[in-house]
Amino acid sequence: MAHPASAEGMPRTSRDVPAAPAELGRGQRPAQPPEQSPEVLVVLAASSLQDVLPVVARAWYAASGVPVRFSFDATSRLAPQILRGAPADVFISADEVWMRWLEERGGVDGASIRPVTTNQLVFVVPRGASDPPGDPRSIARSDLARIALAGENVPAGRYARAALESLGSWITVEPRVVRGGSVRGALEWVARAEADGGIVYRTDALAEDRVTLAFAFEGEDYPTPTYLGAVTTRTEHREAAEAFLDFMSGAEAVALFAASGFGPAGEGVTTAQAPSSESDMPPPLDPWSAVRLSLIVAFSAVLLGLVPAVALGWLLARRDFLGKSFVSMIVMAPLVVPPVVTGFLLLSVLGRESALGGLLAAVGLPIPFTLLGATLAALVVGFPLYVMAIRAVFDTVDRRFEEVSWTLGVPKAPTFRRISLPLALPGIAAGAVLAFARALGEFGATVVLAGNMEGDTRTIALAVYSLLESPSGQGATWTLVIASVMLSLVALLGFERLSRWQRRRMEDHHGR
Amino acid sequence: MDAEGSTMGAGGWGLHVQVRVPLDAIDLDVDWRPESDHVAILGPSGSGKSTLLRALAGLEPSAEGRVSFGDEVWLDSDAGVNMPAWERRVGWVPQDALLFPHLSLRENLAYAGAGPSEVESMAESLFLSGLLDRRPRFLSGGERQRVALGRALLSAPRVLLLDEPFSALDRPLRSEIAAMVRTFARDSGTPIVLVSHDEHDAELLADERWVLVAGSLSADGASA
Repeated sequence: MAHPASAEGMPRTSRDVPAAPAELGRGQRPAQPPEQSPEVLVVLAASSLQDVLPVVARAWYAASGVPVRFSFDATSRLAPQILRGAPADVFISADEVWMRWLEERGGVDGASIRPVTTNQLVFVVPRGASDPPGDPRSIARSDLARIALAGENVPAGRYARAALESLGSWITVEPRVVRGGSVRGALEWVARAEADGGIVYRTDALAEDRVTLAFAFEGEDYPTPTYLGAVTTRTEHREAAEAFLDFMSGAEAVALFAASGFGPAGEGVTTAQAPSSESDMPPPLDPWSAVRLSLIVAFSAVLLGLVPAVALGWLLARRDFLGKSFVSMIVMAPLVVPPVVTGFLLLSVLGRESALGGLLAAVGLPIPFTLLGATLAALVVGFPLYVMAIRAVFDTVDRRFEEVSWTLGVPKAPTFRRISLPLALPGIAAGAVLAFARALGEFGATVVLAGNMEGDTRTIALAVYSLLESPSGQGATWTLVIASVMLSLVALLGFERLSRWQRRRMEDHHGR
Repeated sequence: MDAEGSTMGAGGWGLHVQVRVPLDAIDLDVDWRPESDHVAILGPSGSGKSTLLRALAGLEPSAEGRVSFGDEVWLDSDAGVNMPAWERRVGWVPQDALLFPHLSLRENLAYAGAGPSEVESMAESLFLSGLLDRRPRFLSGGERQRVALGRALLSAPRVLLLDEPFSALDRPLRSEIAAMVRTFARDSGTPIVLVSHDEHDAELLADERWVLVAGSLSADGASA
């Protein structure tokens, strides 16, 4: 976006307005009485505002002397955080549903709710796409095989669905929808040409030069995404918070919003424009589908990784070769690299834009957004544990057993099959169980590489995460949490047993 | 089997060893040509006896020099020759037996391909008949040593390399097993290299003695 102050653009950041004198970590509110605490406004705001709000807040600071500290995230994640006690003074929601949801639960002061600014839904296609659709009706065209939307509980995702419903195209388009977690996630998929098009906010589309804006959803038929601001009920800076909200509707702030592509707040909230009751919320997800999927993904990952893990484990335990420490480092890297980063790298290597990904897609094995992608993500992240366990086993298998076998006239390969492998078997199984357990817990790499698609890639961890931002998911959440804990414990028990068996087997030849 | 390649008897059996094995403690540096069929190498522990046997078996990758057996060159580091252990076909019996822990006695004895009747009769001559279906961990140390010996004998070795093979056997049993090994060696024409710190073992099996001290080998005047 145009403002240099907003050059950094990762979601989920907290930052101070540059001149802010005090650091105030979330959840670390000082224990002093309010009058002694330095006045800092903590604002939780929808992530689509993360480029423009700091600019507005700087103007506000110049005028008021009160610094602002932000936490940006999807509205659907921020609202529950406020109920859980996040030390926020102001909440800015990207839609009305979540604001009302919070109001009903006493999170915000209903009287303070007011529109702040507006956005617009647009349809984007990857830059250079041939024959982009020119109007909303053409979204139903069949060559748009994948359409990226934000998550179903995220306001942008809900607005997009509402727009498609008012077009009457939702039924046609739904099977082709891939859901990003946030608008930015959906936008990234279009930018990488993983999706043929996507519905995002105008402001996000303008900030991304790898996409082309095909058309905007203009007119009365479509919802106008409206940001609402409110003061939280537990604020200790009510006056400053109210003043900040007032400032945002002032001429100076409106000009700053406009410079970033946001529209005027308008007269107020027209409830007809956005889905507004919980009955409009998506149906509750099926927890058992997630459990089943997790098991499938974890089993496939373990099977797929078996031969490479045994080969690498053996190689690292038994052979010295050039670049061994490099190989070992690469294999172990997913253990320490953030899984989200691993997912990003996998997407870069295996996405449709890459040579390898294009080849795989051409032979009918597309990776992104598929079960295969989820499996691969789970495998890569669990692979270090897999290899490490197997390497440790081959370290403990006395290689003189192999030597005896050689002197008995049995060459290396059959010796490996008849001696090394059976001796290492319990340990290999233990490694597999460990990798299985890790695969069950995989989240970060999966959500980036494979998305969060019910029945395809929404495993237990992703389902729990989705449920956290769903207003009506308590029961299903507990089902999943219990299933997840049980599966993990069973896996660990299995690991323990197998490890003991391996140890006992290795002690066999040391006399009784 | 090429017992013929190794000229047995007074002329020696054609083993010629000139090896250097760099070790942690001492370098083993040996130039050796035994004359009798049954040779013992005596020496204190740590003198490199086991390493010498391992070098003969082809299990010491750092061994340098020349080893020939009859007409066959096993090692010639100048020429880049190093015959792998599975082609040398030595009957190596390590001190701690190293029975394959996941296999029963029967499977251990049959490992190199011996048939059921060969296994049975070998077990009988080693007094192991009743134990064939046990796993190694249910055996005593002496039983394990006998199985290891039997396993090596059943692999049709061209030379037996025995590393303290009787250390866990009591005296009367030692004599019986040693007699059995000698019979086997005589009948099949298989030379024996025995490594031990025990003079008594050397007396039981060997006709010629060498002493290994601090990595170098010399003839022992007390040759039997």
